[in-house]
Amino acid sequence: MYFNSITMSRVIIKQLLPHTKSFCVTFRNPTVSNVFNYSTKVTTTNSNNALENLTDWETLSRKKKISKAMKAYLERSQEHDEFMKRQQFEYNIGKRHLANMMGEDPETFTQKDVDRAIEYLFPSGIYDPAARPLMKPPEEVFPARKAAEFDEAGRPHHFLFYTGKPSYFKLMYDAAENIQQLYNFQDKIIRKKATPDPNGSLNLSSSVWLTKDQLEQVLVETITELEYNNFKLVMQRLVSLPHAYRVKEFIEKYRKPLSSQKFALEIPKPSYDAEGRAFITTYECLRKKARGDVTVIAPGTGKITINGKDITYFEDVQSREQVMFPLIFTEMQDRVDIVCNIEGGGPSGQSGAIRWGIAWGLRSFVDAEMLQKMHVAGLLTRDFRRRERKKPGQPGARKKPTWKKR
Amino acid sequence: MFSNCIKHRAFIRTVPLLRYNSTATESVASPVAAETEDQVAKKQILDHPDYFSVHNLFTVKDLFDARVHYGHKEGSLNDYMRPYIYGSRLGHLIFDLDITAEHLRKALNFTAHIAYRGGIICFFNRNALNSHLVERTAQECGEYAHTRFWRGGIFTNANHQFGAVTRLPDLCIFLNTQNNILNQHTAVRDSAKMLIPTIGVVDTNCNPNLITYPVPGNDDTPTAIELYCKLFKAAILRGKEERMKFLQENN
Repeated sequence: MYFNSITMSRVIIKQLLPHTKSFCVTFRNPTVSNVFNYSTKVTTTNSNNALENLTDWETLSRKKKISKAMKAYLERSQEHDEFMKRQQFEYNIGKRHLANMMGEDPETFTQKDVDRAIEYLFPSGIYDPAARPLMKPPEEVFPARKAAEFDEAGRPHHFLFYTGKPSYFKLMYDAAENIQQLYNFQDKIIRKKATPDPNGSLNLSSSVWLTKDQLEQVLVETITELEYNNFKLVMQRLVSLPHAYRVKEFIEKYRKPLSSQKFALEIPKPSYDAEGRAFITTYECLRKKARGDVTVIAPGTGKITINGKDITYFEDVQSREQVMFPLIFTEMQDRVDIVCNIEGGGPSGQSGAIRWGIAWGLRSFVDAEMLQKMHVAGLLTRDFRRRERKKPGQPGARKKPTWKKR
Repeated sequence: MFSNCIKHRAFIRTVPLLRYNSTATESVASPVAAETEDQVAKKQILDHPDYFSVHNLFTVKDLFDARVHYGHKEGSLNDYMRPYIYGSRLGHLIFDLDITAEHLRKALNFTAHIAYRGGIICFFNRNALNSHLVERTAQECGEYAHTRFWRGGIFTNANHQFGAVTRLPDLCIFLNTQNNILNQHTAVRDSAKMLIPTIGVVDTNCNPNLITYPVPGNDDTPTAIELYCKLFKAAILRGKEERMKFLQENN
């Protein structure tokens, strides 16, 4: 039985290795979102433009003509299809082996079960998940390939094909087209002496332009630094126009929402205790080695309780100031009560942790303007600094022995 | 004289001449009788001096209104452009629009013929002011445009550049032939190398020698470029319409 499972696992390893290797490749270029650009099937141009149809006349021809370019493409695509078929077959066999080893029904063995089985049979402590053994369906492992960019007669589908970066230059073309349209629209508005549309506005504060890498992924093309700068320039020009909201859809295709701001916007609703007072508890208030939780209760009288004692829990003035600072800053020092439990670290770390906990809890009790001020003052920023280790050959982390020439 | 020779050769031999590494379509075994019939029909079209009647697309007045006659300053004159110049006014050279019209009609006729035979036509222009217009024109008539930085080897090393066997354009139309005021567009030289016929709007400071169908005229003013774009688009559409008719009749 033992011997049997050993041989089995050898089979699996053989099966696994190429997948693992090539998975690394896909991991670096996730193309999942662009699968539609990348099917091995020849994409038919589904444009209802009459002119487009006019160019596809080769298909009308009585003589069947296939260009060398198309012939080469067809050969390559056939080769690829056969390869994928073979990989699929091997994957299915591997899956059945795994199911048998796990003592489960091979017919109902899903990808989830495969992942679980691999984790159980080949436990790996390797840090990088991409380097751990895995078994995925071949279509996930091997990057999809670009479909033919030309028809049977060898005519490219894209009108900017010869520039070598058709998607990027199409984007620049579209941006220029939109700018021109907006100029025309603006002229029309001025001529009519119309008032601007009050509900037309473009909110760009919560998002940023795609980075170079993200843009490359969207376009499925590599672009240079200069080209990326040109992209940003032209988009900024477009956004700066007064009627830019009319092309909102186009602009937002190339923007990504800011995640940190989004997080800050998610302010929790306070809960209510038995006496009907609103309270917010912030757990995991960390600073240096100190950790604890802070409860902000409103309405209150400014009573501060730290580990059962009042503010005199801290002996030095600096730590007391630290605790009071967010309350004074928001002018809430006698409108809320604070209860905190704190442990670990020294007075500086503990007071810093409480300061952050109070500020974090106060978000629910202040208005947006004050929130903005708190953000600017750095009250809502976690301080991630930790103690730096001592280095050998010197007395401290950075401190060096006194240097004497001789 | 030299340019005349090239012109003549390229025009007569477009049909049988397959470029050395051309990826143009080859007919796969077809009935001989039909082939000869086709050829007779095609020959008649070629023999006709103006089969697509492109001469009525514009008048000399239109050229004048679009400011095609304005050249550059006298000092920047290229000697090869002397025959196309009418004179100079206030230090600026003026094109002879009668000569321009003749050249433009030849170029339009050639464009229509290429479009009729299903050739790939690529528009070039390196002037940022006009490039959007040129790209739009190319898109509207279902052809191609390249108005960006020319990476070397797009024609001469195409299979490597595009990662696959690629069919190159069958006609390049240059709406200006200069990269900047000093240098000629590399694609002009590369097209000549790859035996791709070219049409080029050449201003007084340009060299027309490597262009198969030079059209002397203003290559900077947007109105002039707009006129050229309109004319070439019309010629291409006429060629394509004719082709559609031909294919429908013969199917």
